[in-house]
Amino acid sequence: MTSKSGRRRVVVTGTGAVTSIGLDVAEFWASLKAGRCGVGRIENFPIEDLYIHIAGEIRGFDPLKHVKSRKVQYGERYSWFAGRAADEAWTQAGLPVPYGNPYRSACIIGSGAGGYSTVENAYRDLFILNKRATNPLTLLRIIGSSASAHVGIEYGIRGPTFATCSACSTATHAIGLVLDYIRHGVVDVGVAGASEAVLTYGSMRTWQAMRVLSPEGCFPFSKTRNGTVLAEGAGILVLEELEHAQRRGAKILAEVKGFGMSSDAKDMVNPDIEGPRSAMQFAIDDAGLDPNEIDYLNAHGTATKLNDENETNAIKLVFGEHAGKLAVSSTKSMHGHLLGAGGGVEAIACIKAMEEGFLPPTIGLAEPDPKCDLDYVPNVGRSKKIRYAMSNSFAFGGLNAVLVFGPPPA
Amino acid sequence: MDEVATKIIEILKKHMKESRDDIALSTALTDLKIESLDLAMIVFDIEDTFGIEIPYNANEEVEDFKSVGSVVDRVKALIAAGPAAAGAKA
Repeated sequence: MTSKSGRRRVVVTGTGAVTSIGLDVAEFWASLKAGRCGVGRIENFPIEDLYIHIAGEIRGFDPLKHVKSRKVQYGERYSWFAGRAADEAWTQAGLPVPYGNPYRSACIIGSGAGGYSTVENAYRDLFILNKRATNPLTLLRIIGSSASAHVGIEYGIRGPTFATCSACSTATHAIGLVLDYIRHGVVDVGVAGASEAVLTYGSMRTWQAMRVLSPEGCFPFSKTRNGTVLAEGAGILVLEELEHAQRRGAKILAEVKGFGMSSDAKDMVNPDIEGPRSAMQFAIDDAGLDPNEIDYLNAHGTATKLNDENETNAIKLVFGEHAGKLAVSSTKSMHGHLLGAGGGVEAIACIKAMEEGFLPPTIGLAEPDPKCDLDYVPNVGRSKKIRYAMSNSFAFGGLNAVLVFGPPPA
Repeated sequence: MDEVATKIIEILKKHMKESRDDIALSTALTDLKIESLDLAMIVFDIEDTFGIEIPYNANEEVEDFKSVGSVVDRVKALIAAGPAAAGAKA
């Protein structure tokens, strides 16, 4: 089935999430509804002399228990998260294993950093412990395409399989690419999203040196916000051409209505208003919607001084008067900043929000910044019928990607 | 001007887009053409030079980073507190 513009329509038939507030979508969504926060004192590695002591860690993750595939177990933490989330999404979609029309399927799972913990352990072995060789799986675990290759192998996907890499917009770019491949008839089915596992001592050191982390918590749009909080996990969707899904009687969760991307081409850390504005506008145009039809916006909302004010101003430019009626929340206040994987779990938050007619809150918002004056669904979520939902991802380097989701086609 | 102040001004000059020779202790950091990444580099360079750690957060307006003199005072205090003190803060 094609839309008015004659292009094929794309729907979501599976979702999978691995986060600090839930190891599957049901638990993740229940936490978002309840306003539960997954940020806490780091326990998975010695924080030694760090002065940032908090993160959205996934505790007690055991690949032997939480990852079904023996082959994926050979991967590292970021591939484990991807493998688990993809398994949840693929199972929900009810697609066969292996997929029957392998060259008509895609697997695009990105990562901002790939196998960070593996790099760190290997270098510790070489440079500190003076070992003569690294673990033979080191290279395969490090590469940024490891998660996409692992997942592609699991489901016999033989079409486009690779990773995206655009820091905090990684997952959103991956979903946008699969959307385009399905729309343009390259494939009929695709796994899309990202995975991130950078909570290590060395990585925390690099972030600490950037001076953008909060020692206290992730409080988007708050007057007292003082930086973001790193987190880990994966967010993965199964996308499918509408008729393909209807023919096999799949349960359709949502439609991917639009995608927009742009680059500030200006500065590595100081966001520009025009980049986020244009990406949001392109996504709305691509969806063929009026901005007034969007009822919920899952903001990038990192809780840095710069992002939240700039994003608020960009939203006002795009939505005009409707910005005052639009519900905007940053679920990062609960799951922390999953970096490349953020757009994946936040897309799922949008889909669940539409499905249940419930706006997930921005927690920790006791007093908003006077410069951030939209309805951020402060502290407590609430019921609301949501026609269309938007998910914003803006990355270091000024790389912007925005998705618009709609209800399952009638 | 003492050695700590002289070294800090040298570091500031090294990272400024347009270097200038009239930097005094009373000079406000906002008067120097320093962008956020430059400031992160400057703090790193100061830490490296003096063997200290400064828990500076780019999201906060910190009194210690108002003027050149306040940076010098903070660095001196951290040097006096010893290398272990910085990590324990915050």
